[in-house]
Amino acid sequence: MGRTLASTTQVLLHEEGALSRFRRALRKSDQQALDDLFNAAQQHLAASAYAAHTLPFETFLLSMLLEEHKEVMRLRQAVKELQEMHA
Amino acid sequence: MPECKGWLLDLFEDPEDDVVLYIIARDGRRLRLHTCFPVTFYARGSNTELRTLWRFLSSQSPKPVLKRTRRFDAFTRQDETVLEVQVQRAYLQRPLFERVAKSFPHLTFDDADIQLSLRFAAATGVFPLAHCTVSFDEGYTLKSICPLEKAWALTPSRIPFRVMTIAPNCDPHRTLPERLEIDCGRSHYQLSLFPERGLLVNLKALLERFDPDILLTSWGDTWLLPYLLETSEKHSLPLPLNRESRKEVRWQKERSYFSYGRVVYRGQQVQLYGRCHIDRRNAVLWDDYGMEGTLEACRVTALPLQVSARSSPGTGISSIEILTALREGILVPWQKQQAEMVKPASELFLADPGGMVYQPVVGVHRNVAQIDFVSLYPSIMVNFNISPETIINDPAAENLVPTLGIGIDNSITGIVPKSLKPLLMKRITLKKETARLEAWDPRRQDFARRASALKWLLVTCFGYLGYKNARFGRIEAHQAVTAYARELLLRAKETAEAAGYEILHMYVDALWIRKEGGIDKGELDTLLEEIQLNTGVPIALDGIYRWLVFLPSRQNENRSVPNRYFGAFEDGSLKIRGIAARRGDTPSYIAGVQDCILKMLADWPDPAAAIPDIIQYLQQSIRLLKAGRVPVHELLVSQRLGRKLDAYTTLPAAARAALQLEGIGKHLRPGQRVRFVYTRLKDGVYAWDLGKAPDPAIIDVDQYIKLLIRANSEILQPWVGSEKDLAARLFASGGQLALPRQPRAHPALHASQPPANPCVALAIIRTM
Repeated sequence: MGRTLASTTQVLLHEEGALSRFRRALRKSDQQALDDLFNAAQQHLAASAYAAHTLPFETFLLSMLLEEHKEVMRLRQAVKELQEMHA
Repeated sequence: MPECKGWLLDLFEDPEDDVVLYIIARDGRRLRLHTCFPVTFYARGSNTELRTLWRFLSSQSPKPVLKRTRRFDAFTRQDETVLEVQVQRAYLQRPLFERVAKSFPHLTFDDADIQLSLRFAAATGVFPLAHCTVSFDEGYTLKSICPLEKAWALTPSRIPFRVMTIAPNCDPHRTLPERLEIDCGRSHYQLSLFPERGLLVNLKALLERFDPDILLTSWGDTWLLPYLLETSEKHSLPLPLNRESRKEVRWQKERSYFSYGRVVYRGQQVQLYGRCHIDRRNAVLWDDYGMEGTLEACRVTALPLQVSARSSPGTGISSIEILTALREGILVPWQKQQAEMVKPASELFLADPGGMVYQPVVGVHRNVAQIDFVSLYPSIMVNFNISPETIINDPAAENLVPTLGIGIDNSITGIVPKSLKPLLMKRITLKKETARLEAWDPRRQDFARRASALKWLLVTCFGYLGYKNARFGRIEAHQAVTAYARELLLRAKETAEAAGYEILHMYVDALWIRKEGGIDKGELDTLLEEIQLNTGVPIALDGIYRWLVFLPSRQNENRSVPNRYFGAFEDGSLKIRGIAARRGDTPSYIAGVQDCILKMLADWPDPAAAIPDIIQYLQQSIRLLKAGRVPVHELLVSQRLGRKLDAYTTLPAAARAALQLEGIGKHLRPGQRVRFVYTRLKDGVYAWDLGKAPDPAIIDVDQYIKLLIRANSEILQPWVGSEKDLAARLFASGGQLALPRQPRAHPALHASQPPANPCVALAIIRTM
């Protein structure tokens, strides 16, 4: 309403929809992983909107990467703690 | 020359007396005064056309006073040469202007279609309901009128209104009422609708004896007054509904329109002359702010009471801006022709995102503080001087709007900040006063309701700034407000994070924050001060939650949504957003059960401890549904029709119910609500307004059990899991749930009278 451009939420949903053929051709376990990536992008919609990037999908990819890196950091910390426990 | 003090009740145009004013005098008299009130409009365009217009107007009788002059245009930001047309009698302005507009379609007109009350307020300072002094001659011609108070007075003088309340004994759109309940002063009357002649004679006598200033009705616009007028015509027995005996009542047709993403229905209106008719069922936001708020809206918008009671806050805010423009000598466009500035796509990306909305961290959180900017958007407009005429399309301007390539001209104060400042100040003061008063103080409700009326005006002013058809709307000004709002919210976030807080959620003007080791009140006060210093806009603590739940999306539980949450503050009070109990279409029984469950959760320091009792309570509620012990009216679903019935391809439940009503000749328009119950019959629904109450045996109990479980699984999700998990726990015993032994303690009661303490609800369960 009252917008010239689609909102970032609408853009994300559109991008997700545009990849539905890609998703369909994936194995079920891979589909789950893909859904997780889009959930990660949704977590940072506010930042994507504020960035006002001409190609919003790039910020979605970055959001996915960001969540992946957070997971890597978390796992790294867990490994470190386990190593210290067994040292 | 007689002079008296009093209050302006109503004013309107009249063919003989030009402008008629009704005054409630301090000494109890009701005065009908009249005056000639000249009004002015302006025309601009090519010199040739203006000369032709001049000749056309000179040939009119009576001839208006014509003058070439210069007036300020807010959109071109400069004085424009205009033809000033002063019509000596207000009554003649409208027909004259209609002829002019038709004959000169290429000219631009200003100040052409303004409410009389606004022109009068701008010229004299006297607005509807204002306390004033009037002097008049023996023929009751007004000689002078002076205001004794301003619309912004914190405690306006109390008006000794005579109010007559009339309500039918039941909803007339459902069944024909038997009688009218009438209250005037301390007297109560019941008038039977039949015989009709008797009703008319008695009502006429009451109206003449009591002579009310305000006729406060239920369904007065849509049933009562039309019914009374029709009956009075049938029996040739005139009813003095108007004080102005020479005039007929004023009718306005019903209409449906699209606003804020949904279709809104406004019933037809019946307005009176010399007396104000307010229909509680058709008045805007009556349930929210009642008579006090309606009177407040009338005072500050300067619209006549009957008009302001039925106008949206958008019309109200427009009127305040028009009044400011009239006082400041700024042109008020008749039909605005103003397009958005040309801008590159990259700027459009920057300008268009709206308010900043985070995705919250889903789950249960403890010790969370919610801090809100105080009236953020209006504060931005006032503090940063945002108005259509202050926006300058210059990326090198001195005061640049954050991230946008436009600037603000601070050499003038805009119409919008000028109009909003007193409104904003009054609301903030009223809110402060309300908080200062003791709970028993009768002024508390009065202040709170008036503050609520002002809140709605302030809320709407932002939308109107971006509405291209609004008189003083301009999309760049609207975008500037959101750009500042995003900037200020981010500054608040950065300040909070620098002070060691974690941000759980942000929503346009509010932040939910948490700190390792809990929230310290003193530290929080320091943070609020710092944020205020960094942003220039006041921010306040909404409350500290003992626990708070951010719910995931209903479609995808792995995604969060910004506005579905609930939590318990430290004092045990609840804040709930976006769940079934708050949605208008939830049956009152289900909303009541959900309310009670929320109270049970709030009563425990650890909400998880309440779950066993809640499961028991839900099982009990299901038993009552199955036993048919829930009154049918508590199962009513009320949904709005989104379109015309023939525009549906598949019929949803509401449309099926509306079709049933169509069958008995009751037509509903888009935006109107239709009430129905789910049944096991072919249609699956039964429209409540069919007249006869449905047989309880046909109620689709399973559907209501499903709705009950769905509504409550959304709030119990963090502790119980999905809807399936909740159903599994509810029906864990496997077999049929036993019926209650005694019907007395009825969870359905909670809908109308929720127990003050959930322990009461628990006690009820345990005794069964």
